[in-house]
Amino acid sequence: MRPRARATAILILGAALALGGGPGGPRESPSAAPTGPAPTARFEPPLPGSYELPPFGHVRDHELLGPDGAPTALLALGPGDAALVGFVYLHCPDACPVAMAVFQEVDRMLAERPELAARVTLVTVSFDPARDTPERMASLRRALDPQGRWRFLTAANPAGIEPVLSDFGQDLVRVADAAAPPEVVSHMLKVFLVDGAGRLRNIYSSGFLDARILLNDLLTVLHE
Amino acid sequence: MRITPLAIASFVLCAARALADEPCQSPYIQKLVGHEDYVYVWTLGVDGLGDGSDKLVTVGANPTRPDFGKVVSTVSVGGRHEAHHAGFTDDRRFLWAGGLDTSQIFVFDLATDPAHPKLVRTIGDFVEKTGGVVGPHTFYPIPGRMLISALSNAKDDGGRTALVEYTNDGDFIRTIWMPAGAEYGYDVRVNPHLNRMLTSSFTGRANYMRPLGALLGDPEAMKRFGDTMVVWDFHARKPLQTLKVPGAPLEIRWALDPRHEYAFTSTALTSKLWGIFRKQDGSFEAVELANVGDPAKTPLPVDISLSSDDRFLFVDSFMDGKVRIFDVSEPRAPKLVLEKRIGGQVNMVSQSWDGKRLYFTSSLLANWDKSGAEGEQFLRAFDFDGRSLKPAFEVDFTGSKLGRPHIMHFGREGFLAGAAAGGAEVAELN
Repeated sequence: MRPRARATAILILGAALALGGGPGGPRESPSAAPTGPAPTARFEPPLPGSYELPPFGHVRDHELLGPDGAPTALLALGPGDAALVGFVYLHCPDACPVAMAVFQEVDRMLAERPELAARVTLVTVSFDPARDTPERMASLRRALDPQGRWRFLTAANPAGIEPVLSDFGQDLVRVADAAAPPEVVSHMLKVFLVDGAGRLRNIYSSGFLDARILLNDLLTVLHE
Repeated sequence: MRITPLAIASFVLCAARALADEPCQSPYIQKLVGHEDYVYVWTLGVDGLGDGSDKLVTVGANPTRPDFGKVVSTVSVGGRHEAHHAGFTDDRRFLWAGGLDTSQIFVFDLATDPAHPKLVRTIGDFVEKTGGVVGPHTFYPIPGRMLISALSNAKDDGGRTALVEYTNDGDFIRTIWMPAGAEYGYDVRVNPHLNRMLTSSFTGRANYMRPLGALLGDPEAMKRFGDTMVVWDFHARKPLQTLKVPGAPLEIRWALDPRHEYAFTSTALTSKLWGIFRKQDGSFEAVELANVGDPAKTPLPVDISLSSDDRFLFVDSFMDGKVRIFDVSEPRAPKLVLEKRIGGQVNMVSQSWDGKRLYFTSSLLANWDKSGAEGEQFLRAFDFDGRSLKPAFEVDFTGSKLGRPHIMHFGREGFLAGAAAGGAEVAELN
């Protein structure tokens, strides 16, 4: 991750903690995990269109709740559009703020390219609707101050989000852990690139969540 | 808005863990950092032994549980397929296990009941779907998909081969043939931080299914082994650089610390340890680092395992049945710190995340394994304190009528269920 995204992630993490109350404390870490700051990504992403992103499966659209509490479509994509979809929850201590920081970086990049921004939607979806109400998602939206189309969605109840998670293959484990109240929702951080036909074109996890990659992948898909 | 020390600490921890995992698993996978309850052993069937079929054997590995050191369950897949390698999906719910001979892939559900895996899918049209790729070897999870390196092709059973991608649901996505001049394949490993993928090279089906004695006596056949590694742009899946690494470089292990921009491999035929180092200009160089035993005696290095702190590299060699442990703290100057005979023959080695427990299995290939007294087939577990290996338990795979054990992966009760007992650890999985 580039320094800007990292700094933003810390700010967003602070905002998320302020919104949600924060986790109970640091948890066991691998004893052999590297220490010290991780270096920034040391590669130049491949140029847009110089590689292929073959589709591998479809996702359906789903009805969720917008930050105003009104029903709204998850994707609402048209032909020639594309979306980046990331699942988060506001108590999340580490991975989700990273994802939101990278989304914010993409949002700022898109703001400089209006012809591209008109065809791209960023979607941040809570998979913890019991706590992440539309009001909280609205607060998150205000904190992140999107420049382009960036949707902040939740569901009316936990059951409402399950079909979405299942459709995307976003795994999560609800952890009842006395050492980390409130409930921690463990998950593999994943961001999904969906094209206008609802086809999955890429999935990114924390090891590969780089705003430059996301932008180049959007360009690759949109310019096919 | 408030920024707390906890917030920063949590974030730094997260960033540092981006590559972290059990030492030899893909960085894209959920990792198991605590004590494993089970070792899953992908096992090659032996005619006349038990049911004779390839099977997944689950062995208890937790000394606090009554099944410690015992076979908990077995799942036969029917027939013998040259069981060899296997790998988890990125969510760790399923294990994909391949047959090098029949190119069939068996998918086991490990999540529903970790003690009793279930065979839930068989991919029987791998060769047809992939356009003639044969011998699926490494199963390397990437987000939502499985990246598979192969060994051969259907046209001539030679070494020209490919990388293949499937969805986690078992649907074929694409085939990427190895580049000209580096057609052979074996292992595949990704360093996301560098956006670089490394592949290594072995030999085709005509050689790996041939009896070893006959193969070694055929000079023409012995020329048909790979001597290259390829550096790829992982995101683009494009080859960037071919490195000369003579003598069939097999398993690849990237260092785990993001600041350590290198990987290790060992060469089967030349008995060398090699390092692949990123240079200042971003390209890579292959450097011969050390002998593995006496190359003149052909110890045949096979599996390797790098500890999660990038300090110890365990190198198994099949012919002398030994593990050699190198201290690779100085990666360009490995130091041999321990040499120990594990058995009459040894192939694979797996270690726990904390490096305190080591597991070894014996079988290399159906037609390459030894016969007689040295042809023992086992899973042997050891405790490692940084200086010595102390036996913990063993399972006799011949005496137990199981077959010949190959790759090992770890599982744990409650790992995916979010049970309170495993909660603190599961919470580490972000």
